[in-house]
Amino acid sequence: MGETFSWLIAGPFMYLAVIIFVAVTLKKVVTIASMPRHLRWDLYPIAHEGPAGSVFQKVEFWKQPRAVHLAYELAEMAEEIFLLKRTFLYNRKMWNFSYPMHAGFYLIIGWIGLVKFGALLELIVGLKVSGASTVFWAQALNAATILAGAAGLVLGLFGCLGLLWMRYTDEDLKDFSSPVTFLNLYLLIALFGVGLVAWLVEDPSFVLARGYVASLYVFKPAVLPPIMTFEALLLGIFLIYLPFSRMLHFAAKYFFYHNIMWDDEPLVAGGSLDKTIGGYLHFKAEWSAPHLKSGGSWLEQATTNPAKPKEEGK
Amino acid sequence: MKHKVRLKDMAKPAEVLCPLAVTDLDPVPGYEERPFKQVKPEWKEKYDLSLDGFSALALTPPATKEAEEELVNKFLRGLEKLFTKENNWTFMQPTALSTDYCVRCNTCNEACPVYVESGRQDIYRPNYRSELLRKIYQRYFTTEGRLLGSFVGADVELNWRTIYRLAELTYRCTICRRCAATCPVGVDNGLMNRELRKLFSQELGIASEGVHKGGTMRHLQTGSSTGMTPAAFLDTIEFIEDDIEERIGRRIKIPIDKKGADILLIHNAGEFVSWPENPAAFAILLDAAGIDWTLSSESMGYEGVNYGTWYDDFQFARVAVAQVQAAKKLGVRRIVVGECGHATKALVEIADRVCVGDLAIPREGCLPLLEQIVTSGAIKFDPSKNNFPITLHDPCNMVRLMGIVSPQRNVLKAITPPGCFREMPNAGVMNYCCGGGSGFAVMNSMNFPEWRDSVASRMKAKQVLEAFSDCLDPSIPKYYCAPCSNCKGAARDALMEYYGFRDKYNIIYGGLVELMVNAMVDIEKPFVSWEDEF
Repeated sequence: MGETFSWLIAGPFMYLAVIIFVAVTLKKVVTIASMPRHLRWDLYPIAHEGPAGSVFQKVEFWKQPRAVHLAYELAEMAEEIFLLKRTFLYNRKMWNFSYPMHAGFYLIIGWIGLVKFGALLELIVGLKVSGASTVFWAQALNAATILAGAAGLVLGLFGCLGLLWMRYTDEDLKDFSSPVTFLNLYLLIALFGVGLVAWLVEDPSFVLARGYVASLYVFKPAVLPPIMTFEALLLGIFLIYLPFSRMLHFAAKYFFYHNIMWDDEPLVAGGSLDKTIGGYLHFKAEWSAPHLKSGGSWLEQATTNPAKPKEEGK
Repeated sequence: MKHKVRLKDMAKPAEVLCPLAVTDLDPVPGYEERPFKQVKPEWKEKYDLSLDGFSALALTPPATKEAEEELVNKFLRGLEKLFTKENNWTFMQPTALSTDYCVRCNTCNEACPVYVESGRQDIYRPNYRSELLRKIYQRYFTTEGRLLGSFVGADVELNWRTIYRLAELTYRCTICRRCAATCPVGVDNGLMNRELRKLFSQELGIASEGVHKGGTMRHLQTGSSTGMTPAAFLDTIEFIEDDIEERIGRRIKIPIDKKGADILLIHNAGEFVSWPENPAAFAILLDAAGIDWTLSSESMGYEGVNYGTWYDDFQFARVAVAQVQAAKKLGVRRIVVGECGHATKALVEIADRVCVGDLAIPREGCLPLLEQIVTSGAIKFDPSKNNFPITLHDPCNMVRLMGIVSPQRNVLKAITPPGCFREMPNAGVMNYCCGGGSGFAVMNSMNFPEWRDSVASRMKAKQVLEAFSDCLDPSIPKYYCAPCSNCKGAARDALMEYYGFRDKYNIIYGGLVELMVNAMVDIEKPFVSWEDEF
């Protein structure tokens, strides 16, 4: 019974969780990406404009080539993603815990990558990733995997516990923390905490984890020991829940930055943006305030003057 | 004293939910607080002042249960429309993302001058009204909200009190978007505030009178938000020409309706009414620099403001389209917007995605042009004529929201002696709003101005005092340079009158062009004068 349960969790359930995670995340991303192009709502400095800054600082700026330096944009995004720059600058207390939590995630993602890579090596070239290996880089890979996994679990757990403590003790945060906020944190604490116990008790060198991933590659899911089974269950639940929660901000953030704050694409007469917006002007708007024309298109609304005196007899 | 007001409390009966007193506010050095004026008894009887004891909207509570139900239903219909592309293509993506992905970290709070200066009152948090919107939206329009209710935060009751307090609350934010600049995720509570204002305006017909009826509607009716008709505009120009002659000893013919000019200059019409020395200074500079320019006497063509920017997409589009049409009629090559922050942002940037097809005529702000005038050498300036301490205000709309940071500084450095120009704290894109943003400078109904001057402009008052901390002695004349009409309005009402900076410290305020003309070698008499101000 125990083995069957473990197999069901580690096998079919995990496949299903990954499929749901990928599918729902993609669906949400596509939904966001296909929303209409909004009016310009820039927030400066716009990273990709580089050190020269805003084009609006130049006379006849429309004659200048549009500055889009990808390197500056990537550098700014990297600072934000890997260092949580804005939280560091404007909310240091939260950064003290939010940063370890996010670093924990990044390290665990890195750990998953290393485990998958190790599993592939074992499957394809038969090389055993181990501290006892005579091949140097197999040893190095083993050490890196242990370091990333252990550090990720410890940092993640520390960060989540700190954030939970803040949510309970900070009066200002309390009112903005609904039960689901606490549920999210408890789920993460369980994920990092059980993972830590599983590592210490059942799989200190991540040999089982690597073997498990290899078993998933070949569609012959391995049976896991009890704590690792529980961790797999938690991971599966987390993966299914993640895209439905506000934790999907990791994907939404790209659109916030790239498509809203930094969307400085000018409208050029006859260009694609001109045509796109021109299409929107045919949308029927149904707002019903007295100064609006009921049922009129955007174009009709924009060219209607509600304050114009009505002609007599009309 | 900090008043604990939980989000759920917004629906509860209370005479005043967060009764603000001057003792709550963060002190301004050297300023002796005066208690707020007593609210008139007839206001208390007639209007809803139950948010904080102030009113920007003069809302009358619904008289019957049916009227309340209609109000609630209308609000919900409007809220739904914010999330449909046909009704809100203009801002649907940022609204939807800001609704779904705020992590409630409160990082935005300390960025907000209204929240900080109010003594950190809960209701003024930048995410307070956004969170209310989210909770209401969740409760009525999402599956998890309907099924799980308060577990997912959908726990705010929607009644007339919630709606009215929320409406008032949208007029406690200047939409300076300093909060958005600090958000780690990118959530824009300034935008959410505007979306709420939009819902109230476009669906319920609720908006500040100064912004809507006395603003946009008058603009569309008369040609100017000031009520200045084209004929009155022409009279004003004649007056300005007389004024210029008196000031510089020669007459300049201000070009009006010059077909095919290089530049159509559009001012905030408030300048013609309240600060005519500003368009006068522009005329002197452009004339001296030999620039081919004109003003328009066409209805809407001499008025740069666009109050729709602050509350209503359709009103915004109507004004922007009419302004560009006036320019097209003249056949000018480009439009330059004068010293007005929101007018610049509205016409140059936001309208970029409204003025499509043949309305895509080039538009720019005036600050780069002013910098070009200085660097081109077309006019000789003597910096020693501006030998007094000057500090510079960064209008949110031109600086944080358009990135125009250096031109005005380059101008000031060129026309002032070393050491006279000093930055204020947080200068540049992280500046603080003057307190007059989002229409506050033109909103004067009921007791709202008292709230505006005492709370919204308080941080700016502190910044100015800090910038001039080494020369506060009234024997030293000082100049607060605010290249924006709205910001000057806030300076006049709050800094000069409410906090008494003119009388107490000998600080005057004005635009950038006045300082430029003051430094012109060819003009003998000072253009900037402290004597006139006293």
